Formats: sequence, structure tokens, C-alpha cells
Amino acid sequence: MKKNKSMIITFLAPAVILFCLIFLYPIIRTLIMSFFHITGVTDPVDKWSFIGIENYINLFQTSLFRTSMMNLLKIWFFGGLIVMSISLLLAVILTSGIRGKKFFRAIIYLPNIVSAVALATMWLQYVYSPKFGLLKNFFEMLGLESMSKIQWLDNEHKFMALLLAYCFGMVGYHMLIWTSGIERISPELFEAATIDGATKPKQFRYMTLTLLKGVFKTNITMWSVSSVAFFLWSQLFSSVTADTKTITPMVYMYSKVFGAGNSVTEHDAGIGAAVGVILSIFVVLVFTVCNKTLKDDDLEF
Amino acid sequence: MAKEREPRKPFNAKREAKLIPGYIILILWVLFTVVLLGWVFGASFSTTKEIYKGTALQFQSGFHFENYVKAWNGSHVSTYFLNSLIYSLSSCVLLIVICAPAAYVLSRFKFIANKVIQTGFASAMGVPVIMIILPLFSLISGMGILNNVIANKALLIVLYVGINVPYTTIFLLTFFSNISRTYEEAAAIDGCPPKKTFWKIIFPMAQSGLATVTIFNFINIWNEYFISLIFANSDSMKPVAVGLYGMINSMKYTGDWAGMFAAVVIVFLPTFILYIFLSEKIIGGVTGGIKG
Repeated sequence: MKKNKSMIITFLAPAVILFCLIFLYPIIRTLIMSFFHITGVTDPVDKWSFIGIENYINLFQTSLFRTSMMNLLKIWFFGGLIVMSISLLLAVILTSGIRGKKFFRAIIYLPNIVSAVALATMWLQYVYSPKFGLLKNFFEMLGLESMSKIQWLDNEHKFMALLLAYCFGMVGYHMLIWTSGIERISPELFEAATIDGATKPKQFRYMTLTLLKGVFKTNITMWSVSSVAFFLWSQLFSSVTADTKTITPMVYMYSKVFGAGNSVTEHDAGIGAAVGVILSIFVVLVFTVCNKTLKDDDLEF
Repeated sequence: MAKEREPRKPFNAKREAKLIPGYIILILWVLFTVVLLGWVFGASFSTTKEIYKGTALQFQSGFHFENYVKAWNGSHVSTYFLNSLIYSLSSCVLLIVICAPAAYVLSRFKFIANKVIQTGFASAMGVPVIMIILPLFSLISGMGILNNVIANKALLIVLYVGINVPYTTIFLLTFFSNISRTYEEAAAIDGCPPKKTFWKIIFPMAQSGLATVTIFNFINIWNEYFISLIFANSDSMKPVAVGLYGMINSMKYTGDWAGMFAAVVIVFLPTFILYIFLSEKIIGGVTGGIKG
């Protein structure tokens, strides 16, 4: 046993030290920072001044931050609706016994391995292009003149364009999670149901969906984690620094702390930390609500 | 990872007919993906003028490989590319060296902190990067190494490794738990010390799991954006994702669309080629780290 002790320590130490350094310590410090007034992110602790929850109050009184939260909620809710339903649909089709399953699955997942900068550029510069864009040509081909003239990247359509492009990139990942969940359900269950006279849609409604509760939880949690980190797409789709159409909390925090631009007033690291805490609370909240409402009913399958 | 079930059923017209709507949806989705990537790939061999005329894929003036030469030599793409390669490869190796032993110990031994560490790692996968970036930044700029190119590169690698430690450990943990303990018992009877047993016997046995998680880490680090944006300040340190972003912004002024599409292709080609050969493994890596 003594030998094991030294082995446990030497084997675990590097990973645990890195974890403490990169996750544990920063998380605690960010939490503390959010209750202080801190101008520069590199300011030493003795320059911090305690202000309680003023940062949070301040944030919710700032209309730009409220806009960014609204955008995030819209991305989370509408994007989630789109991504979850499309990815579930594709997963169900893929597991229904079609031929070339591996091929289809590989192509659907493909956008996820492409760098998001490259993928977003393809959408911005090609699909939505008003000169030679895919959408423009597509609608022209169908003879829909008015549709082909839509400026997808103007203020009116920008958010929708951003959301669609982002969702397209995310579907593959969630499709895989659904697929692996569906594949774990024993095929005998479905055979038994078929013999008992249950139709396919009924099987889907009462068996697949009920048995997939756990997978659904995973999907929602992962979706929330990735939407909270929504940054790059928003940066690429906005033409100015604080574009109210596309700004997200992360972009707001970036400009507040690292001061990418000029328009968003002075630096404030305490506010930035508070944004981080709010976003983390959002993820924890979603996770808890999912766990409470979607209890695993101890179904064995 | 689920096993592929059922041997291919014989062709049954009635059964196949029911699947037609499914095929249609899949084919449309795949078609769109292929057109999107294919067009960009094609346009990267065309010229800006032809792209604007809408005849990018007719190649009336032949194939313009010089787009690639220009993109590679100009605007630092070769530097970004090599940086990304160094960052991704060294991070992947370090991740295995650090996480494989940790995952093994967590999967085999009972001790008080075990559950705590596992829970900590699992929760870390859900922590938004914004929650950790500020202290890291002040810590690192306090060390005053952001002006030294070599130190800064090493720092980026440490960050990439640290960020991916939880996922890699949890993934490998599941993998090691599935390897039977009888190997260690046999080795112990033969007098092999536990550490040696791990490196000589268990580690080689876990090859396929190690490969899966490494490919997955490689793609993640190659595409990483936010950390690099904050900590890679100069062109000599930027990885491709951040570099490409800067290039696209400057393309808006120079208007070299063909060159821009060539740069886009250069950025996604490495992960794309990996994917062509290893898509099954990568797909396994996605679902392997998550317990549904």
C-alpha cells in the first residue's frame, strides 16, 4: 500500500497541479474580483476596492449589456430549438437502418472539425455574399427575385444570418450525441414493440424520447456551455466594435477588459469578472433545472 | 462506443421505400455541405475577377495555384501554420504524458480525493473560458514573459495543455476502467512494480484510446481561438485561427478574394485531411468523453 501511495501522488500531481493553476485558482479569483472595483486587469490586489454587488447592479443597468444578454438568450433558445430538432431528426434517420450511415454521419459532422474562423468566413464571404452568394444564386435559379435581393448581412437580417450559420456548424456535434444515445437502446425493445403492434411514430414518441432523457440533458448542457462562450462568430459578423445586433456578453466583457475598441468607455476588470460569474451561473442554472425536471427514472436499457 | 449492430440486411424494396424521406433529407444536407466546402475550395484556384462574375468554378483562365503561393508567402500564413503545428503537436504529447498516468490512477485506486478530483475535472469541462481568463492574464503578465517569444510560445502550450487536461483525463479514465485488472495481477505475481506495469503493459494496451483522444485534442487546439487571441500578441506567435481572422479583416481593404479563399483552405486542410483518414476515430472521441 505504501508503494501505491507514492505512485498515486507522482502520477496525479502534474494533472492536478495544472487543474488547480488553470481552473481552480482562476475561478475563485474571478468570483472574488466580481465584488471589487478594479480598473485594469493587471492591477495588484491593494488597488482593488470592495463594492459588494455594485458591479452586478451596474451591469444590469447598462443597456448594452442587457442587449448582449438578450442576444445570448435568443441564440440559446432559438438556436437550441433549431439545433436540437435538426440534430435529433438526422440522428433518428441515421439509426433507422439506412445505407451509407457512416458516410452520411461523417459528412454531417465535418463542419465541426473545420476552424470556426474558416467556417464563418465561408458563410460570410460566400453563402451570404450579395454579389456571388450561394443564397442569391439559389433564389435566382428558383426565380424568386425578391428573395435573391435580400441583403443577408444588413442590420435587419444579420442576427438571423449569424444564427443560421452557427447552427449549421453545431448540428453535427449534437447529432453524434443523439446517435450514440439511440444506439445504446437495445434493438430487442423495438422488435418487441413492433410485435405488440406499436407503429414507428408511436415507438419514437413513447420509447426513443423517454429513453433519451439522459442524452437530452447532456445535449442541453453542452449547448449551453457552447452558447455562453459565443464570441468568435459574433466578432466576425459585426462590422463595428459594439454592434448591438450581434453583441454577446463575452464580446462585451472582452471590450470592457481588453479594450479592443474605443466606443465602450473605460476599462473595468471587475465588471468583466461579474460577466463571467453571471454566465457561469447561467450554465449551472440550466444544468440544475435539467436535472430536476428530467430525472432519470432508473430505466434500464 | 456502440458496436455496429446487424449485418447488412438483404435488399427489401418495401423496407427501403419507407426510408426514402430519410434519404432525401440526408442527401440535401450533405449536398449543401459539399457545395459550401467545394465552392470555396474551387474558388481558391480561381481569380477575384471570375469570382465576381460568378464564373469561379469554370476556370476559364486555368487553375491559379499562385493564390496559394501568395497566401503562403505573404501575410505570415507560413508562420501561423508552423506555430499551430508546434502548439498542437507538443500539447498533444504533453497531454498524454500528463493525463494517462492520472487517469490510470483514478481508474484503479481507491483513495479519499479520487471522487473529488473526478468531480472537479468533470465540472471543469462546463466552465466558460471567460471565468478563468482574467486571473490567468494578470498572473501571466505579472510574470513579464509576454515580451519573450520563446517563453510566450511555451506559455501558450502550457495553457492549451491545462485547458484540455480535464477532458483528456476523463476520456482516458473511462478507457482504462475497461481494461481488465488481471494483467496487473499477473504482473504483480511476476514481481513487476506497479509503475512499471503501467508504462510497460497497460499504456501500450490503451493505444487506441490514446490515439482517439490525441486526434481530438489536435483538432481542438488547432482550432482554438480565444486563448490565442489574448495571449498571442505578435504575428510571430499567432496560430492559424487568430492569424486568419486578421487576414480576413485586411482582405476587406485589398479585395483579394481568391487569395483569401486560399488562406481559408490552408487553415482547414490539416484537420480536414486528418478527418478523411480518421473520421471514425474522431467521431468516437466526441462521444467517448461524455456519459449520456
